[in-house]
Amino acid sequence: MSAGEDIVVLGGGLTRFARERSDGTPIDWMVEAALDGIRDAGVDPAEIEHSLVAYESEILARQLSMGQVIQDALAFCPRPSIRVEAGGGTGGAAIRTAYAYVKSGLCDSILVVGCDAVGRGVTSATVREVYALSGDVDFEMAAGGFFMAYYALMMQEHIRLYGTTEEQMAHVSVKNHRNAQSNPMACMPMAITIDDVLNSPPVVAPYKRLDCAVLADGASSLVIATESWARQHASSWRDRPRVYLTGVGCGTDRVRLGDRPKPYPGLAHFRAKKEAAQMAYRMAGIENPRQDLDVAEVADTYTGAELQAYEDLGFCDYGQSGPLTERGVFDLGGELPTNTSGGLIGQGAPPGAMGLAQAVEVLKQLRGECPKERQVEGARRGLTDIHGGTASFSVVSILERRD
Amino acid sequence: MTDLVKHKLDVIENADPFGRSGIDDPWHAFRNVERLDMELHFQFKHSLGKVSPFFLALEEKRLLATRCPECGKVWMPPRVHCGDDLAITDWVEVAGTGILEASSLSAYTLTTGGGKDTLILGYVTLEGTDTAMLQQIRNCQDPGKLVPGTVMTVKWATEPVDHPMQLFWFELAD
Repeated sequence: MSAGEDIVVLGGGLTRFARERSDGTPIDWMVEAALDGIRDAGVDPAEIEHSLVAYESEILARQLSMGQVIQDALAFCPRPSIRVEAGGGTGGAAIRTAYAYVKSGLCDSILVVGCDAVGRGVTSATVREVYALSGDVDFEMAAGGFFMAYYALMMQEHIRLYGTTEEQMAHVSVKNHRNAQSNPMACMPMAITIDDVLNSPPVVAPYKRLDCAVLADGASSLVIATESWARQHASSWRDRPRVYLTGVGCGTDRVRLGDRPKPYPGLAHFRAKKEAAQMAYRMAGIENPRQDLDVAEVADTYTGAELQAYEDLGFCDYGQSGPLTERGVFDLGGELPTNTSGGLIGQGAPPGAMGLAQAVEVLKQLRGECPKERQVEGARRGLTDIHGGTASFSVVSILERRD
Repeated sequence: MTDLVKHKLDVIENADPFGRSGIDDPWHAFRNVERLDMELHFQFKHSLGKVSPFFLALEEKRLLATRCPECGKVWMPPRVHCGDDLAITDWVEVAGTGILEASSLSAYTLTTGGGKDTLILGYVTLEGTDTAMLQQIRNCQDPGKLVPGTVMTVKWATEPVDHPMQLFWFELAD
């Protein structure tokens, strides 16, 4: 085992994300995604040294100790395994943990597989109630608080501070649903207009139904390894573009929005995301993210959250995310295409799977393997950004192609 | 034929999501899926912990925050130790008026939040405190009046409630 080597993302796998996957259990989907990722990596699963299982909710999956169950299902016993959880940021935490395991020399290769079962197999009221438990329970949940409302309150403040408009937010929805149209794994591919979004039923002001990511069933996977292990074990090593994991930053913030310092982050900003991004940028040598990155998958739980993220990720100044979005800066063909997979809004949002799915999309973008409708030509460096809670936990990862 | 499984919901013959069929579908022998009605019931004796004096004081229509003896910051909701410097805090009673920071009208509620059809939630910084508290805003016919900076006042429940946080809410001050 060799510590300190460069880290490679060898493969990525997905199952189809859907509002309801009645064709299997979360275990079935994780096996599908793992097999897809192992096949994509071009490695023998018997050679992978470690596994990491990422999922958020045992209650909603109706399965505790998922890590052990998946280890068994994938015939990985008696090799070591670890389970990771960080709410909506679970996939990001999985990538960063896998990086640490491989970089430290604890293992030279690791299969990362993530999942959650939050589609229509469970009522949305149950999901809202269970997820409210991931915030402040005794004060805020007991007062009637839930995450959709917390995000809405953040965006109300963003609107007040910067004059961000609901049309600008709607542009994000149109873009992400449109991008999903060329993604066969996506559950919400749609050709919609700004007016469609503005006229969709109100949910929690300022958000309407089409401003929101949809909870989905699905699973995803990555194979991460040291460069020397990849050279020795991956049949695809000489024939395909090589993609490295060059930055993995993490940040946190107070759980209750009202406890966060003012004026920054206040209610409107993601301090954890800024911390995570700056850490990842330092590791990867990125100075001007909008210029230095070619593609990004950004946490778009809600349209406004994507706009807020642009600012704390350093893609633009505070208050500029709305106007730049309207100008198409983050569209395919724009300066920094964002959420080319469709994002959480277009592809779907199974929490344990979505952070890994972002990395799968960036991996395929950097290899030039996306369908031409959404391929960013010549993409060399990409970012993934995912968070849990109202970004009380955040991870930013940088992937880079090196020929 | 009588169904021998009481909780059987249905049997679904799933198609491959990518349109493959027969032997082209790797899972063709596993496409018939049975579903069951399933309920899980959880019940707890839930401790409100060291901040319980806050919840108990609500029954007396009193609002207790906590002040850090080191830095003087007043936390509301209360924290038993300061969120900035970890010093164990002191209880202080605060007034029932404050400034609205943000609000949002919701078409949904959690059942634990009272189960009403619509709900306005807001962050209010109570007078004499340094952090904002989430609570319901009630009896507001015109949400347009809920602009940040507006003075809000606490109102108290007179009927029994399920949770201490339902003992009060905010309304626009007169």
